[in-house]
Amino acid sequence: MQPRTLLLLAVTASLAQAEIDPRGPLPETYRTNGSATLSAVDALKASVLRSTATLVDEKGGHLIATTWVSDDGYFLAPASAIVKPEKGKLRLPEGRSFPFKVVHRAADLDLLLGKVPDLPKTQPVNWTTSRALNMGQWLCTSKGGGQELRIGVISALRRQIPGMGAALGIRMDEDQSGKRKGVKIMGVAADSPAESAGLQTNDVILSLAGKSVARFQEVHEIVSKRQPGEEIAVLYRRNDKDESCTVRLASRTKVLSNWDGEDFANGGISIRTDNFPEILQHDIPLGPEDMGSPLLDLNGRAVGINISRVDRVTTFALPMETFWTKVQQWMAEDRKPPQPVVVEEVKKAVRIVPQPVKSTK
Amino acid sequence: MTAPTRHIRIRQALLSAAVLCLCGPASAMESPGGTASSKSTLEDLLKVQKTVQDMLPQVKPAIINIQLRGGTASGVIVSSDGLIMTAAHVSEEPGKDLRIYLADGKMVWAVSLGLDKTTDAALAKMKDQSHPWPFVPILRDTAQVVAGQWCVALGHPGGLDRKRGLVLRVGKVVKQTANSLQSDCVLMGGDSGGPLLNLRGEVIGIHSQIWQARDQNMHVSMAPFLRSWDQLKGSQVIKVWGTGSGGYLGAATELDAQGKVAVLEVISGSPAEKGGLKVGDLIVAVNGAQMADQDKFAEAIRSRAAGDLITLKIQRSTALRTLEVKLGTRPKEDES
Repeated sequence: MQPRTLLLLAVTASLAQAEIDPRGPLPETYRTNGSATLSAVDALKASVLRSTATLVDEKGGHLIATTWVSDDGYFLAPASAIVKPEKGKLRLPEGRSFPFKVVHRAADLDLLLGKVPDLPKTQPVNWTTSRALNMGQWLCTSKGGGQELRIGVISALRRQIPGMGAALGIRMDEDQSGKRKGVKIMGVAADSPAESAGLQTNDVILSLAGKSVARFQEVHEIVSKRQPGEEIAVLYRRNDKDESCTVRLASRTKVLSNWDGEDFANGGISIRTDNFPEILQHDIPLGPEDMGSPLLDLNGRAVGINISRVDRVTTFALPMETFWTKVQQWMAEDRKPPQPVVVEEVKKAVRIVPQPVKSTK
Repeated sequence: MTAPTRHIRIRQALLSAAVLCLCGPASAMESPGGTASSKSTLEDLLKVQKTVQDMLPQVKPAIINIQLRGGTASGVIVSSDGLIMTAAHVSEEPGKDLRIYLADGKMVWAVSLGLDKTTDAALAKMKDQSHPWPFVPILRDTAQVVAGQWCVALGHPGGLDRKRGLVLRVGKVVKQTANSLQSDCVLMGGDSGGPLLNLRGEVIGIHSQIWQARDQNMHVSMAPFLRSWDQLKGSQVIKVWGTGSGGYLGAATELDAQGKVAVLEVISGSPAEKGGLKVGDLIVAVNGAQMADQDKFAEAIRSRAAGDLITLKIQRSTALRTLEVKLGTRPKEDES
């Protein structure tokens, strides 16, 4: 019996090898994020998928991924990806959608803590320290609204990412006389907020956020006070006609470094790509819509939240140490808003009293 | 802040449109749907992780950042006397001073040596010869590289960033052709010239170009380096022209990512141009003989005499065509 089994195995193995031509192309199944490779993390799939959901807009369009952080409906998502939270809903992998409330917005971390009131039970991720991670360590995360897993490694040093503020992505006429009406656009950056909003070279910006502008410094001043992800109303003149549009500002760093579309093959990047107190960098192939998903080790424990898709090779995740203590506080405050002291709590306080008494001699 | 650097534009732009068409047929090679023995296990991944993490500190000192006027790229030191492998589109010409940043942040100078424009292989050398350089060995037996093996890409995507340091990517070899490797280690501008390593820590490729999809990352294999080692060390510029002592065609070719012989340039007034050959055409056959690689093609042209009429079977976008070309003699000014 045994020899036959072994023989069968041997035949299967050689067949499997014969199927892959050593010169390639390697079938997609066997690539780093193909199904045969991902079977290594199959055991994690069910729990990872239960701990994620999707934030959708009023039309049901996928905005961003979310991660459950409690069993009573609290979740985290990247704040800059959510412009109108009141119109959004949280969609579970099985398809049902629920309205949610915004509990807290943390601009420094670009995190939004939300709560779905109508869900009796949610399955949070289990956090573990990210301090033990080194370059080359495998991690996994969910993709496609929590339907699939993807793997990759810690790909660079953990670090702070300084902020450079927001940008429209335009070069402006440097005429400082202020005599002419408006500020002329001399060039528009590839894939920039200005390009996405339809602004073109030779358009003349008349006003920004309702304030009229005549010099490029005035435009700078208005834009630099805002954060990536914020929307700004632009009134401009094209071919002697006044027109208007709304521009969603993005991180200045990225707009500058991608001016000529150098990073064209990136599959899309996040609106905010900088100004984080600390990040983990990894090489998991994700899109900007996958941000908000949990970043896990291969034991299925979460070490952070994916926060920004930066370029073709880079994704940033916030390590759990940057937010978890704060998030617990925000949840506690939300569950028990400041109110008159309840009798039960006084009783608990009394029970603690004997301890110091015991310790005295 | 990093200045708005203009990263080395990897030679992708011209190819990106074509990629979209060529992507499709790849899925026709769809796999057998894994048997138990071909699926990865958690232990497999952890073994890869341990090997990569053990290897990193050893190879790191040999990976460099190259600063050029208006660009930034990568490279790898491959000998104790400071020989550097990089990409031809990085150094562009022999004898050029290259500003090098080492892993510890120190700046040193190197000079570019020879380059092979058709395969994108290039060598450079550290100017300081007063001490041995840390280096990574290269894999000399290119046949050892097989599709599906794990590999590691290192480099400085987007340019030098001291707080970030070197960027690691772990992936698999997707394809090997005569002069190149394809992997799913994702590359971008600034990576050009950096090394692709096997899990023994040997250089198996040099980052060269990307196509649109994330698993379309192309590396120069060791083959063109080893084949032309002396010429490259001797600061020669190699161009594989379809010319020789015999017939002259006047077209330069390169092996594209799909392993086809693609026309890179057609010299004005040459037999190739008169015969209707155009840039981007893929050479399928010469007089009925299939052309699997550039060497075969060059040989097919060289072995015929000037005045011979040859039949070129080519692919132009999706259509197959046949061209009749009368080979000429090599123009005098092309001799050097």
